[in-house]
Amino acid sequence: MSQDIATSPPLAQDRVPVQGLCPRCGSAALAAYPVFSEGGWFDVVKCQGCLHSVSRERGPLLGALRLLADQI
Amino acid sequence: MSTVEISGVARLRDISEDEFHAAYGADRFTSSVLRSRLQYVVEHMSTAFMREAFSPIIRDWYDFACTISGPAEQDYPMAVVSNSLTPFLGTMADALRNTVVEYGVDRLQPGDVLICNDPYRGGRHVNDVLFIRPVFVDGRIVSFVNMCAHQLDMGGTVPGGFSATKQNVFENGLVIPPMLLWSKDEPVRSTFSLIFDNTRWGALLLPDFKSMLEQLKLGERLILENIARYGLEAYLGTLVYATDTSAERMRDAIALIPDGDYEGSALIDADGTDASVEYRVHVTVRKRGSSVEVDLSGTSAQARTSINAGVLDAKTAVGVALTMMLDPKVPFTSGTWRSIDLVAPPGSLVTALPPDGPTMMFWESSGALIAAIFEALNPVLGERGVGGDYGSTNTHNSHGLRADGTLWTSATQAGGEHGPWGATRHGDGDSYTVLYNLNNLDPATETIEHDSPVVMLRKGHAIDTGGPGTHRGGAANVRDTLWLTDASHWLSPFRTKEPSGVGANGGRPGPNGAMWFFPPRDDGSAPSGLVGFSDEEYAASEPIAGMLNIQTKKLDPQGVYHHFASRPVWKTSPNTVLRAMTNGGGGWGNPFEREPAKVLRDVRDEYVSVEGAARDYGVVVVGDPALDPEGLRVDEHATAALRKGR
Ligand SMILES: [Zn+2]
Repeated sequence: MSQDIATSPPLAQDRVPVQGLCPRCGSAALAAYPVFSEGGWFDVVKCQGCLHSVSRERGPLLGALRLLADQI
Repeated sequence: MSTVEISGVARLRDISEDEFHAAYGADRFTSSVLRSRLQYVVEHMSTAFMREAFSPIIRDWYDFACTISGPAEQDYPMAVVSNSLTPFLGTMADALRNTVVEYGVDRLQPGDVLICNDPYRGGRHVNDVLFIRPVFVDGRIVSFVNMCAHQLDMGGTVPGGFSATKQNVFENGLVIPPMLLWSKDEPVRSTFSLIFDNTRWGALLLPDFKSMLEQLKLGERLILENIARYGLEAYLGTLVYATDTSAERMRDAIALIPDGDYEGSALIDADGTDASVEYRVHVTVRKRGSSVEVDLSGTSAQARTSINAGVLDAKTAVGVALTMMLDPKVPFTSGTWRSIDLVAPPGSLVTALPPDGPTMMFWESSGALIAAIFEALNPVLGERGVGGDYGSTNTHNSHGLRADGTLWTSATQAGGEHGPWGATRHGDGDSYTVLYNLNNLDPATETIEHDSPVVMLRKGHAIDTGGPGTHRGGAANVRDTLWLTDASHWLSPFRTKEPSGVGANGGRPGPNGAMWFFPPRDDGSAPSGLVGFSDEEYAASEPIAGMLNIQTKKLDPQGVYHHFASRPVWKTSPNTVLRAMTNGGGGWGNPFEREPAKVLRDVRDEYVSVEGAARDYGVVVVGDPALDPEGLRVDEHATAALRKGR
């Protein structure tokens, strides 16, 4: 019995660099990306050093899922 | 919404009575009493539904949950939950918001029941239908009372649904978008027909739907009685207080993790297509101060068949894992996730998307996420680490015809659905319970044998299968069932390649399990007694799944992987025996420091063999556990010598 086995490829969430300094720790490593938390999806800018949320805007209701019915 | 600053918030117990009243519309005592009264509401609804339900998966499995959530102005906080299935409860806050917002909160009327079962809008799988009833005071929605319940069938290609072999949402079953099942307390016939025209066993579903309406009405009435007694301001404040309590307690729990980045992973053996693709759930837990970010980057792309989980299930799993590891007393409300951000690349095994990422066996993949978080955090938690569980419900789903031609069906009753937990700093792991990712009942043997032509021959602990440790992991469960008619089976174990029962604080993992069929005797009759564990008996078996020696067909971690869906349907003739052996639970602490008296007791009780006691624990036990269990003793000199040499 031959067992030629692959692993389904890994995916990654992109983090887009954002200009500015973290007001909490002074780090310049700010990045924008979506997160899922209490209250649903948020588009955040967070400090990658201390995880401080520089901004949190409400994201799409269903995250990455788009409904054709929204185009009616 | 602007900047959210969590640290610096005053602790609930430290704020003044005036501050408390301003925040929550009542004094502390009233808020606590009201919260407890709402807990009673969801438990009363649950008890009533359990008593009335016709469907065996409700009646015998407790496959449902009840919650109370707040109104839109509060952003739908899920404040109170029943003591039942965590995979339901964890999704129900977001599922409620997504369902109500899409339907249109302003369109809801008193007496409506809004439903949705779409896994991508609300989590779980299509069988789990969410029922939402708005609660009105003076023409305004002040709350939602909710139930989520597994329906025995939701259409699709496999009766009952439990199968890893379905390739897309169309094969998976009927998807119900947000729509009314009752409108102003009148049934919406078109919605009922949509369901009954696309599913099996509607005669079981209909009375359960009616019962759920009555439980929702009960919940609504009890909520209104509480509002009449304590006032609307106190009621609404209590919903916020309940979630703030969870948030504060989880924040304290997160503080137990040292700041840092921690990685872990867990493997799903294969999907339902073939054995050529494995799936890995990968997690990075980043912890700073009171915040945690759980990043799923590195997780495999979604599977080709129905073993995926949706992102709501991934979020649930993160909440379950952190609650189990850090503070099991955190109330499981929407506030649990306040300090947790999930970073979730879409289209992965645990963030699957339609139409090609069906989610039927979702708890298996989201359970692997729990295991990955355990692997990430156990090394840094040290003594607070927790051993892993049996990892998979090894679900069995089958049907056939009785002699009189009637259909029987057996779902989630006769595989390896129940098994062990890992050990903790408090003691040994339990040997017969439910996955960390579930919280359900174990169907009674009498019920299983009454409902299907099956005899439960064996339901016991397998020897030398608890992960060795100062505290031993729970033992694997081995279950043998004798099937009396021709039968078609679907079998779904997913975690047989890498141990799911990982060790903690120096403890060792439990071994992995497998599944076999033992055919009837040559004349077609049943085995004369119990099927044992001898070489001859295994040689005559038909392996189904697991890492097995190709010659002996016995468990062998270095052996060959056998794929659970190498046959799309496993067809058996009458008097075939199915054996399901679960994985063992993980041990906690160095096994060579386990008290010899406990090892002696384990040998007497056949959790550990005489050979295993010496090999895994360095304890020399003298005597015969089978013929003279009370005459067993520890050879202390030989034990000291053996442990010293280690
Ligand atoms: Zn910072």
